[in-house]
Amino acid sequence: MDFKDYYAVLGVSESASPEEIKKAYRKLARKYHPDVSKEEKADEKFKDVGEAYEVLKDPEKRAEYDQLRKYGAKGDGSFDPPPGWQSASGFGGGGYTEADARQFSDFFEEIFGGGRGAAEGFGGFGGRRQSMRMRGEDVHSRLALFLEEAYQGCDKQVSFNVQEVNDQGQLVQRRKTLNVKIPAGMKEGQHIRLKGQGAPGIGGGDAGDLFIEVEYAPHPHFTVEGQDILVTVPVTPWEAALGATITVPTVTSKVSLKVPKGSSGGRKLRLRGKGLPGKHPGDQIVVLQIVMPDRHSEKAEELYKELAEEEKQFNPRSKLHV
Amino acid sequence: MTRHDKSLTVELSDTAGTFSLHEICERGGCHAEFVIKLVNYGVIAPVEETTESRQWQFDLQTLARLRKAMRLQRDLKMNLPGLAMSLELLDEVQDMRRELDRLHRQLEQFMEKP
Repeated sequence: MDFKDYYAVLGVSESASPEEIKKAYRKLARKYHPDVSKEEKADEKFKDVGEAYEVLKDPEKRAEYDQLRKYGAKGDGSFDPPPGWQSASGFGGGGYTEADARQFSDFFEEIFGGGRGAAEGFGGFGGRRQSMRMRGEDVHSRLALFLEEAYQGCDKQVSFNVQEVNDQGQLVQRRKTLNVKIPAGMKEGQHIRLKGQGAPGIGGGDAGDLFIEVEYAPHPHFTVEGQDILVTVPVTPWEAALGATITVPTVTSKVSLKVPKGSSGGRKLRLRGKGLPGKHPGDQIVVLQIVMPDRHSEKAEELYKELAEEEKQFNPRSKLHV
Repeated sequence: MTRHDKSLTVELSDTAGTFSLHEICERGGCHAEFVIKLVNYGVIAPVEETTESRQWQFDLQTLARLRKAMRLQRDLKMNLPGLAMSLELLDEVQDMRRELDRLHRQLEQFMEKP
């Protein structure tokens, strides 16, 4: 088991005052709150910070921890509690963080116990458990879809953990896997509810629901804005100048598109109804990008010179007053 | 102890299900008073705004928002005005992050040689 340096987690010294510890905790809790932070592993860091504060805010636990810290400082980062170690302070739960010890690390449990023991103590309801009726917990999860999947609808496998009470009355984790039919046109941030697919109820109570929030995986060519799908399509200067019918990709196939004569780079052309499907389907918006060949032939250069001569009255920088 | 179930195919029956005030409180694990306060502060809103809270219906996104509000209040000890402002700012940040990401990718496509 790895030793957890709670002082390092909160970024405070061993001699930090309770006020300093509280201040550091508050700052880091805001920084790593999973609803606020986009940092990688924010969830883990938030839990670490909560766990560290749970110990260091409490003088008794802190004193015990300090003792163990001296003992546990082996240098290789590993840790074993002294034989026969038993915490005097234990884990009461609640307090400032209203911490749920089930979330804490093995290290915490080894030192202060209580956490998972309390969860398993669910069986302690004993006889009452039979008569107690409780709805199962809802489960919330996220599902990343490729744009093609969101566009066409798809079958996706979703796996998640549910908590349930086994025959011995213990609270256990069970891995559940469902095949979910995702309808076409699901948007990023949209939620799906699967009734009764969350944790099972207790004592005949209803099962909880599974809620899935949809996310999009980034696409190499397309971006999504509301119901519309945007794609940048390169055209040659002569296609832009003379107009042309070009082939452009859609999410699932390709279509012909008429580029109007005299189009500038950045011009947006709309393909009606080719955006995300739905009650009001979106459009596909094609953004033109004028590109040059890597090199021109001598003849092409001559033709450009002729063109330059012919169009010399045109100043593309007139808005810049130059 | 972990045991695996068989995979089970589920069809989506309702992507647009709603909850009554009682149901959303049960799901969110909070008191009706808290939900009413959040509605009054404009943090969440029923699908159709009526003065009679018993007739309120909330959609799935609102449940997710209620849960987020509860986590923030529990973990960061926020009062309601602070919570309302934080959620609004977080929404704005999320919209801006998405927009920024979209614009970055568009710009990359625009700059890259075909």
